[in-house]
Amino acid sequence: MLAVRDGDLDSMGELFERHHGPLFGYLTKLTGNRAAAEDISQVVFQRMLKYRHTYRDEGKFTAWMYHLGRRCAADHFRKSSSAPVAVDPADLADHPDEARSADESAVARDDHALLHRALGRLDRDDREVLLLSRLQELSFAEVAGILECSVGAARVRAHRALKELRDHYLQIQKEKHT
Amino acid sequence: MNCQSCSEKMAELADARLDADTAAQVRAHIGGCAECSREFGEISRMLAALDGLPQSPPSHRLRAKVMGQIETEKLTLLDQAQFASSIRSAAGGRPDGRMAWQRLVVRAIGVCAVLAAGFALGERTATQRQLADLRVRVDTMGQLVEQSVLQKRTAGDRLETVLTAARSQVPDERVIDGLINSLAFDPSVNVRLNALSGLYRHSDQDVVRAGVLACLPRESNPLVQVSEIDFLVAAKAREAAPELRKLSLDEKADADVRDSAKRAIALL
Repeated sequence: MLAVRDGDLDSMGELFERHHGPLFGYLTKLTGNRAAAEDISQVVFQRMLKYRHTYRDEGKFTAWMYHLGRRCAADHFRKSSSAPVAVDPADLADHPDEARSADESAVARDDHALLHRALGRLDRDDREVLLLSRLQELSFAEVAGILECSVGAARVRAHRALKELRDHYLQIQKEKHT
Repeated sequence: MNCQSCSEKMAELADARLDADTAAQVRAHIGGCAECSREFGEISRMLAALDGLPQSPPSHRLRAKVMGQIETEKLTLLDQAQFASSIRSAAGGRPDGRMAWQRLVVRAIGVCAVLAAGFALGERTATQRQLADLRVRVDTMGQLVEQSVLQKRTAGDRLETVLTAARSQVPDERVIDGLINSLAFDPSVNVRLNALSGLYRHSDQDVVRAGVLACLPRESNPLVQVSEIDFLVAAKAREAAPELRKLSLDEKADADVRDSAKRAIALL
């Protein structure tokens, strides 16, 4: 990003290739909508390009990218002014593991659909902190920086969100069986 | 460790993000607490399921759009650079700016030497401050203009940078190129007017007069056009006469602009 800031715009292409996958994955889970995740990803890279001169070599690039991602997602939610509806597994384009048997794949697909539904039932803030905390490239300190709260608060919020998710998951499972 | 504290650390234990001591304490609690042990099992399964959600790549449209944005930005920068370069070529190479820049570097080296001597004599703090000031004035101004004026920010940001550049007494080539580019390309009339105002103190340079003259036919706002004509008159830019004549006869131009152009021809 430092090279991009200093005028080497070709490096922007490399940054895109390296980071757009995880960013898109995060936004897909956050919004529950592939088309919206694509739009937001595009805006994130557009803003990186536009505000490249504001990039400071403090902290990790990925933390800055997810910070922009969070802002862009918030703009998106504000404009659409509706809570994201996460849960059309077909829309999320599951790719079953081809090595699995048909039965195993079907079970996995069911589990994924169930989890997507559970994610969709979380508050957006809870979903956000939970998904950020699952990104391997971010430490809790960086997640806290993105959420503009203390590290302790980020930990507690992620923990609560995870428990909420588990409760929703078990609840949906129960609804399915009854 | 109590159950609450243990519970809050379970996710990090599952991710192996805890330090060894804390991890041992959490494990010891889980080992002795059936409720926490059950919860840890559920949390671990939930995390594994969450991490195991398949991620399909985005469509090719995303790549195409982002790459298109990058190419557009590159073309915009190229356009601006070529404009500045063509102005310098039209003004006969880079005589004024380059010479001034070289003189400035020599002067800066001289000042640095004096300051370094002061440093050796023990005036450490004052000297460091002066050196920092010098760096800001000599080195940063060009970058500031190049990176802020030429790139897209809000009109307020661009105006602030242009005003800072306009106050610069140093005839830095990049500052001047930045101001000319702002005059030529900035979408805000306010920013363009302030860029022009900033160029007044450098109006003795050929490249500045050529730059303003090149901007005149590109300009569509009558207020800026009249201001540019006033600038050319103040700078005694006789080479502007043909362009002014053309403008004075242009029926599509604003009446005030045509009048200003006629007046300017008479004055020049």
